[in-house]
Amino acid sequence: MLLIRKMSRRSKANSYLLYVLMLVGCLSFSSGLLAQIDERQMMLLANNCLQCHASAETGAPLIGNAEKWRSISAKGEDKILENVVHGIGGMPPLGYCSACSEDDFRVLIRFIAGLPDQKGH
Amino acid sequence: MQRRKFLRNSLAVGISAAFGTTLSGCGPPSTEPQSPVSYRAGEPLPWINWAGNQSCTPSSRVSPRSEDELISALKSAKSVVRAVGAGHSFSGVVPTNDTLISTDLLSGLVRHDPEKMQATLLAGTRMHDMGPILHAVGQAVPNMPDMDYPAIGGAIANSVHATGNSFGSMSSYVSGFKLATLAGELLECTAEKNPEFFHAGRTSIGALGIMSEITLQNQASFNLTEVNKVEKLGDVLDDIEARCKAHRHFEFFPIPYASNCLTVATDIAQPGDVSVGGDDPKAVNTLRTVFDAVSWVPLVGEELYDKILSTALAGDAETIRTGSSFQVFPHVRVVRFREMEYTVPAEFGPACVREIMSTIKDKNLPITFPLEYRYVKADDIWLSMFEGQDGCSISVHQFGDLDYKTPFAEIEPIFWKYAGRPHWGKIHTLDAKRLAALYPRHWQDFHRVRNELDPRGKLMNDHLKEIFGS
Repeated sequence: MLLIRKMSRRSKANSYLLYVLMLVGCLSFSSGLLAQIDERQMMLLANNCLQCHASAETGAPLIGNAEKWRSISAKGEDKILENVVHGIGGMPPLGYCSACSEDDFRVLIRFIAGLPDQKGH
Repeated sequence: MQRRKFLRNSLAVGISAAFGTTLSGCGPPSTEPQSPVSYRAGEPLPWINWAGNQSCTPSSRVSPRSEDELISALKSAKSVVRAVGAGHSFSGVVPTNDTLISTDLLSGLVRHDPEKMQATLLAGTRMHDMGPILHAVGQAVPNMPDMDYPAIGGAIANSVHATGNSFGSMSSYVSGFKLATLAGELLECTAEKNPEFFHAGRTSIGALGIMSEITLQNQASFNLTEVNKVEKLGDVLDDIEARCKAHRHFEFFPIPYASNCLTVATDIAQPGDVSVGGDDPKAVNTLRTVFDAVSWVPLVGEELYDKILSTALAGDAETIRTGSSFQVFPHVRVVRFREMEYTVPAEFGPACVREIMSTIKDKNLPITFPLEYRYVKADDIWLSMFEGQDGCSISVHQFGDLDYKTPFAEIEPIFWKYAGRPHWGKIHTLDAKRLAALYPRHWQDFHRVRNELDPRGKLMNDHLKEIFGS
C-alpha cells in the first residue's frame, strides 16, 4: 500500500542484529544475566520478531532500547504476553509466530525486552 | 519534505482553515481490531490471523523441523489438519480446532542452480527472508507483492501476486515443489513429474497436502526505482493502457470520495537514480481522521473532504525509492485492515473500479481506506485467479476496527457482474457452486486430484468445505 510504505533496510539490519544477538545470547548463557534463548527460539525470533523489533520504520519498540522497554515491562509479563497473543497497535496477533508456545513467547519477551530469566517458566 | 510530514501538516492546515479552528489532540485514531477471542495467560493458546478476523484453538500444534517430522505430523493428525505460515490470509483457510501445523521452522535455502537461475527454498521461508537469501546467490524473483510478511508456501497456495502486465503471480514462478501427503509420501512435482499434482498444487489453498520445499524460476539480481505520484483518477483511468505498457510495473490507489489517486510506477533502476522522500506507514489513518472531521457537514461534507485532500496533495512532490528489487517491492504495514479482492478480466478493470467508486459515493459507504488496482499476466494454473486470462485485481479495504461486512456486501456484487474471481486468501462470500462456474476448464480436474490425495477430507476445514463443497 502506497500510504503505508517506507523504504526498508530491515534485511541488512536483521542480519547484523542476528549476529549481535547470537553474541549476546552466548554471553547471557554464561553470565546468567539475560533470558536464555535456545536455537529453536532464536529461529523463531529471526523469522518473526526481528522483522519489526529490529526495524525503526515499523515504530515497534526496538530490541535493546532499555528506555522503551522499561515502561512496557512495568505492565508485567502476563499482560505483555496477552498483548502479544491478541496483537497490540501495529503488532499483529502472536507477532506472526504461529509456532510459538506460551513458554516460547515468555522467553522471547524477556529476551527482546532485556529482562532476566525466570525460573518456573 | 517527507510525505509523512506533508500529509499531516497539510491536512491539519486544511481542516483548520475550513473550520477556523485548530485540531489540537486530533491525532489519527487507533485502528486496532477487536481480538476475536479472549485469552488470559496460562489458558490454551489461540491462533489468530493478522487481520484479527479469523481464529481457532487447536488441540494440537506442531512445528516440524524436517520433512520427516512434517510427514509424521500429517500422518498422525486425527481429524482436520491445516497448515499455517505467517497467518496473513483474511479468509478462513487456516482455522482448525484439531491439528495446526506451523511451517515456521521449515525455513531457508535448500539448493540453487546458477545456470538455470533456479533456487529451492523450504516452504516456510518468509518472503522478507527470501529476498536476501536469493540475492546472496545472485538471484531474484522477477516480481514480488507489495508486502513480504507471508511464507512462500502460503503465497503459492493462495496465488499471491503483485502488479505488471508481463508478470504472473508468485505461483507462476514455481518450477517444482515437494508435497507431503496424508498418506505419508513426499511427492516431487514438476511439469514433467506428477504433472497433475503440479498443475493443481501451484494454487491449492492447502487442500492437497503441505509443500515442504519450492523451486522458483528466478532471474539475475536487479535494481528497481519506484516513483509515487498524486494524480487525477480520471486521467489515470483514461490513460491506463499506455501507462501499463510504459512501465515494468504500474498500479494505483483510488481514494474513496476523492478525485485524486496515488500512482506507483516501477522500472529497472537507471544510473544516478536516488531515493527522494519517504512514506508513512500510518498515513491512511490521517485520511480517516480528516474524513471523520468533515464528512458530517450537511450537503458539502464529501465535497469539502475532496477539496481539502486535493489542496493538501496538490503540491506533494514525487516520492522515489530505489534499490535492490527485494527492498523496493515490499513495504511496511502497521495499520491493520480487512481486505476483499477480486480479479476481473483485464479489459473490465476500468469499468469495474469506476462502478465501485461511484457506488461507495452514491450509497455513502463508510470506506475511506484507499482501494488498490493492479494487473497480472495470465497463467495455466488450474485454480489460479489468472488461469486462462490476463487479470485486473481490485482490492477494497476497511480499517481493522470498523465493520467490513456491510460495505463489502454492497461492493461484492459489482465484482460478480464483471465475472470476477475472488482471491483465495481474502474475504469473499462465494460457495463451491458459484466458484465452479468461474473455473470451467479445471474445477473438476482439481477435485479429482484432491479426492485422490485426501479421500477422507482431513484437510477440509469449514471454509474449505464451503468453497469446495463437502
